[in-house]
Amino acid sequence: MMDFINFHLMPGIILGSIYALGGIGISMTFGILRFANFAHGETMTLGAYFAFTLIQLTGWHPIAVLPFAMILTAVVALGIDRVFYKPFRARPAIMLVIASFGMMLMIRSAIQFSWGVQLKSLMPGIQRPYILFDALRISPKHMLIIGSALVLMLAVHVLLSRTKIGKAMRAMADSPELARLTGIDTEMVIRATWVVGASLAAAAGVLLAIDTHVETMMGFKLLLPVFAAAILGGIGRPYGAMAGGLIIGIAEELSSYAWIGNEPLLAPGYKAGVAFAIMVAMLIWRPSGLFRGKVF
Amino acid sequence: MMKSFLRATVAASLVTAGAAGAWAGEIKVGSVAGVTGPIAELVVPIVAGRNLAVKHVNEQGGLLDGDTMKMALVDSQCDPKAGVDAGNKVVNVEQVVAIVGASCSGATNGMVQSVTIPAGVVALSDSATAPSISELKDNDLVFRVAPSDAYQGAALAKLAIDAGFKTLAVTYSNDDYNAGIAEVFAKTYQELGGTLAGNQMHEPNKASYRSELATLARGGAEALAIFAYYGGSGITIIRNSLENDLFGKFMAADGMFDASVLEQIGADTLRGNIFITQSASDYGDSSYKAFADAFTAAGYDPVSPYAAHGYDAAFLIALAIEKAGAADRGKISAALRAVAGPPGTVIRPGEWAKAKAVLAGGGDVNYEGASGNVDFDSNGDVSGIYSVNTVGDDGKWSTKLIE
Repeated sequence: MMDFINFHLMPGIILGSIYALGGIGISMTFGILRFANFAHGETMTLGAYFAFTLIQLTGWHPIAVLPFAMILTAVVALGIDRVFYKPFRARPAIMLVIASFGMMLMIRSAIQFSWGVQLKSLMPGIQRPYILFDALRISPKHMLIIGSALVLMLAVHVLLSRTKIGKAMRAMADSPELARLTGIDTEMVIRATWVVGASLAAAAGVLLAIDTHVETMMGFKLLLPVFAAAILGGIGRPYGAMAGGLIIGIAEELSSYAWIGNEPLLAPGYKAGVAFAIMVAMLIWRPSGLFRGKVF
Repeated sequence: MMKSFLRATVAASLVTAGAAGAWAGEIKVGSVAGVTGPIAELVVPIVAGRNLAVKHVNEQGGLLDGDTMKMALVDSQCDPKAGVDAGNKVVNVEQVVAIVGASCSGATNGMVQSVTIPAGVVALSDSATAPSISELKDNDLVFRVAPSDAYQGAALAKLAIDAGFKTLAVTYSNDDYNAGIAEVFAKTYQELGGTLAGNQMHEPNKASYRSELATLARGGAEALAIFAYYGGSGITIIRNSLENDLFGKFMAADGMFDASVLEQIGADTLRGNIFITQSASDYGDSSYKAFADAFTAAGYDPVSPYAAHGYDAAFLIALAIEKAGAADRGKISAALRAVAGPPGTVIRPGEWAKAKAVLAGGGDVNYEGASGNVDFDSNGDVSGIYSVNTVGDDGKWSTKLIE
């Protein structure tokens, strides 16, 4: 039983928190800007590299530099939107999708060029977990990851439910035409969407880097589960993306638990397929997702 | 109107000349390597080795009639799909005579099966070690100076037995190289009397392997044999194992041999708890010394995995072009066999002028490389020697040859 919690449920929650943060950005850009942003994975990578450089410069703890990495990433995302995506805004969405694909390759190459392709680490060495009640193992960095993710998700909730811009964002996700008619500054909402999406992506990248390491493909490798999280939750539904991320993360890890007998239910080599399977199943049977998102 | 037509014609002819690749006096050879990807650090000295050989060739008279040998470097990302793209680029765009590479077994398998064998271009890999590459139907177009893991897997299994490990768990990454060597290792280890308490494939590039490792640890193994690329999953596996007290002792093959393993995990934590085999050179051999001196002077560490092999691969391709007497794709395979083994005047690393003179006089050469004698068998493979690496007192890898 403790094995189940320590080695399957906990990693699932940690992974799920990271997916959730990434998924919010994907879901919101998809819902509000109406295109699948392939460069989102690279945005996560960029956040992790900003954090790496900030740590090198200041010597602070990764969590202390996290807000600054988020701001830097958001600024870059705004610049990219102004220069590359804005000219495509009135064009068919497929052009934006392709533009984001190009942007993905450009950001990745820029990262490889500026930081090199070597592995880097935000927290070198290993960290022994605390052992609570003689059996529950949790390491300090995992508490930090789950804690930070919770704080950020709460912040998103406050933003969306209590602030004017948050309400405008939700209105725009529901119906952009209606939002425009009621006098909402759509460009302002778009900029806010990029800021929220990119800073959460940066946070996801940094939290992943705290758990593993920093390398140039790290965000791209997360892209599929993050898309799956957004689709599972419902496109344009930030709360859906949070739930979707946690569900995908936990489902991936639990799929290899020995539910029947002593063998893993699904050979761990096929874990990555779980996110795929959930995504495909949702698209077939319930394309609007758990939280009744958009269907395009 | 006329002017713009003229401009277009000039532009078009420039493009054609560019596509044909070889400007007068330049012979292009493909240099396919996993510049980015899970073994990025390892590839730097390998490419440097290749380039050093090219430098020696060009400084000592160049190819054929004084043509410059030029390496067209393309990234294969250590990935089969990217390997195919890289192969297409060097074969069809760069129009190379022959190819050195690719780095990883998966990328090499992809590249040779989809591109170079159908196109009739020789590919000579300096670091692809999967046993499956020997079995390709390759029309004698695929060679390697890196020994097959049929040997390395067995050597590592013997080391495990010698170290007194009676039960082991094995985890391997889902790719050609790691699955290949894991199979050889598991088979040899059991033949030598060891017990496998678990043998599991894992998907590389995941953020956590805690559930996989927990399952493996339930078998009660004394140590974990990891077959993975360090940047793909290897480092994460070691970290997850240590942090959760699942495994404390590790062994691995050359895909894990990099300084970043020690940097990321900590040398003190790993000292006495890990050994890694690596394809090595006979460090007392005069061929190796000739290479090592030049490579050190160029600012690199000659013991870096497959750097010597990279040098040998590029040098052999140069010799094969010289022997063939023309930059002709179809003649490289036979010429490569002729220059790599006996009979002939022995040529060692750096002795390009000597080789050129012998070949010009109609003689035969036999290249004795920095990595070994590089005599190809019927599969285009060479035999190899290995070293075992442990963590030294200085916090770096300490290398010892396996007898």
